[in-house]
Amino acid sequence: MTQALDDIRILDLTSGIAGPLGVLMLAEHGADVIKVEPPGGHRGRAQDGSVVHDRSRRSVTLDLTTPEGVALFEELCATADVVVEAFAPGTMAAFGLGHEELLSRHPQLVYCSIPAWPEGSRFAKDDGYEALVHARSGQQWEQTGFRTGPMFLHSPVASHGAMLLVPVGIMAALTARRRTGKGQHIEVSLLQGVMSLTTQVWNWTDQGSFLMERQHPPGVHQGSIFECANGEWVHASTMSGVDQTSTEGEILGFEHREQYTWLTMTPDEWEAWNSERIAAYKRWDRTELIAAFNAAGLGAEAIVAPHERFDHPQMVGTGSAVEVVDPDLGPTTQFGVPVFLTATPGAVKGPRPRAGADNDEVLGALGHDADELAELRGKGVI
Amino acid sequence: MPGPLEGLRVIDFGQYIAGPFGPMLLGDMGAEVIKIEPIRGDNMRPLVVGSFMGCQRGKLDIALDLKQPDGVRIALELIATADMVHHNMTLGTADRLGIGYEAARAARPDIIYCNNFMYGAEGPLAYKGGIDPHGQAAAGLEWEQGPVAEGGTPIWIRYGHGDVAAAMSSAAALLIALHHRERTGEGQFLWASIFHGTMLYVADSWLDADGTPTTRPQLDREQLGLSALYRLYETQDGWLQLAAVRERDWPELCRVLRVEPLVDDPRYSTEAARHEHRAVLTDELARAFGADLAVNWRRRLRAAGVPCEVSVDMLDGEHVLFDDELFRLGLVTEYVHPILGRTRQFGNLVTFDGTPAVQDRPTPRVGEDTRELLARIGYGEAEMQDLKDRGVVTWPGDDYAFPV
Repeated sequence: MTQALDDIRILDLTSGIAGPLGVLMLAEHGADVIKVEPPGGHRGRAQDGSVVHDRSRRSVTLDLTTPEGVALFEELCATADVVVEAFAPGTMAAFGLGHEELLSRHPQLVYCSIPAWPEGSRFAKDDGYEALVHARSGQQWEQTGFRTGPMFLHSPVASHGAMLLVPVGIMAALTARRRTGKGQHIEVSLLQGVMSLTTQVWNWTDQGSFLMERQHPPGVHQGSIFECANGEWVHASTMSGVDQTSTEGEILGFEHREQYTWLTMTPDEWEAWNSERIAAYKRWDRTELIAAFNAAGLGAEAIVAPHERFDHPQMVGTGSAVEVVDPDLGPTTQFGVPVFLTATPGAVKGPRPRAGADNDEVLGALGHDADELAELRGKGVI
Repeated sequence: MPGPLEGLRVIDFGQYIAGPFGPMLLGDMGAEVIKIEPIRGDNMRPLVVGSFMGCQRGKLDIALDLKQPDGVRIALELIATADMVHHNMTLGTADRLGIGYEAARAARPDIIYCNNFMYGAEGPLAYKGGIDPHGQAAAGLEWEQGPVAEGGTPIWIRYGHGDVAAAMSSAAALLIALHHRERTGEGQFLWASIFHGTMLYVADSWLDADGTPTTRPQLDREQLGLSALYRLYETQDGWLQLAAVRERDWPELCRVLRVEPLVDDPRYSTEAARHEHRAVLTDELARAFGADLAVNWRRRLRAAGVPCEVSVDMLDGEHVLFDDELFRLGLVTEYVHPILGRTRQFGNLVTFDGTPAVQDRPTPRVGEDTRELLARIGYGEAEMQDLKDRGVVTWPGDDYAFPV
């Protein structure tokens, strides 16, 4: 079956999260993604996540600190539509592959940079560790917890925001290219990634800022997190979009109060009622509780550790827990393709390739014969 | 300025966040987005104005009653002029209203149509709707932020990260489908979900053949960090985020903190040793950081090449939104809203050097562009007034009562 992007070639020079995982959605809808990494493999391979983030692509090893390596990369660029890099600022320019230079030679390219901080800003060259972006962008103070002060976010939210923006940005630039005939440089900084997640709270107007307040101790959705029997947790946020045949109180065995009436209770009334409610949840087995809520049209989700998600009925029911046979690790279970295009469905194309696994095939297709490749291998270029 | 998606037209029936955020992102990049809104207003409008503006700015807006046949007809007439339709109604709702994929395709044979769900268009829970916390619970975000493994209570991550993941993944999917349509002329139905979008945040977790999961970094009980050297520390007057994760950072850190004897202490001589003695090392460093001001530690550590940053409170974003440099770079935008006046918000989430985009259109009022859009598809003044009198459409008048 044809896939939506099977005429697109992407050169992926990234490690970490935003680049490899951002490109993955494009790879699994048909794009020919070629990982271009140093001989021996890129440093991010040491992280477990790379097994997933770097799958469904081919791998070529090139030493970009050598003129031969750069020359081969330029040959690849002539066959490519997209280049994605997430190096420290100045690294690509030092290779002679900065975006202005490379686009002057290959104007068809969409050149996507993923720095921590925006190019041209006062902090462009500052350290770009994930948590430093959280700290300096204010994200740690946006998160609530059971103490005051900034919260360290376990989830690398800046990289995650950027990871989601990367395929949008690349596809938008490819859309523009169909109209203008030209590629361009685009940038998704981790700062933009983290800002994508404060879009819902950060605004300022002449009339004030209208936002859902921070709360201490944490409120809003925190109020629907409950402990069940056996120390298991449930997020019993009952909104479900379907008709409800029973109330929370009827199912759990306590006096039900409509949500809007909570606001009119005195603190003592609330405390008395809510402690009864908390005690009711504690008596319930979580699996039985979720089944009862589902049957009554209420929403409830088990709060699980990430690895437990593969057993979720919806994960199973949408075929999203996928077996991928890794060349070194053997069979693994991984999360599959997150979006569903019915005419051109995405699919996992294969495991993470070993570093340089496709040197012969990819470089051979550029016209380099076996002797030449052997020589380059001997010199450590590939 | 036009932006990369100039010429693209998107019809948006979405509400809350997961529905409208994706089309807004396409609009930010130059697409014309037409929000079709109920006469009584989007449910989010009066609920959280800031969040509403964070999903709706830049759109054209027509207020239509889709319970009336004339309302559905107008919606389909608009769809006939569009490239894409996007919304987050629960399964079957759009079909019941008469604006489902088949109806849209009849109006526009190559339409690209995306429905964003809580759980998806298939699977045992497809019939259900839901909200962001369901995704955060199911993916493990709340569990890890607790951290439950350390005896903590699960914590919901503020604010709507799962909604945004669903919205951005559907925006990417729409553009992938557009690429296919440009090559083949074929539109299609596609879907995304909060459930699947949120799962992207933990894609790095996988199981081996025995079902053994990968080891993940563990947050400490106080939500301060992942290790003694990648952590928040309280100083005399504020908090410092340390990221002294390279081997060469360790002796420099000790020198700046004036705890040189620790450098050669066998308990801390290697990364593994420092991990093993994490608790006691954290105490030693916390005591040292408590002896001076955050800004002083920041200056000295940065001079020594040790990565760190003061953790700052941006005061509901004000310090970001009025940062001259971010405004100049287009990461922050400003426009005038007819009710709220001068408004500052995030600007370009992706920067396009070749086809720069500017977000200078405000969040529309209910029916802000009803008349212009009806005129575009051929309705005259008398017809418009008749539709308004019959409650099929509306536009803002002197009695406009919404907060935005």
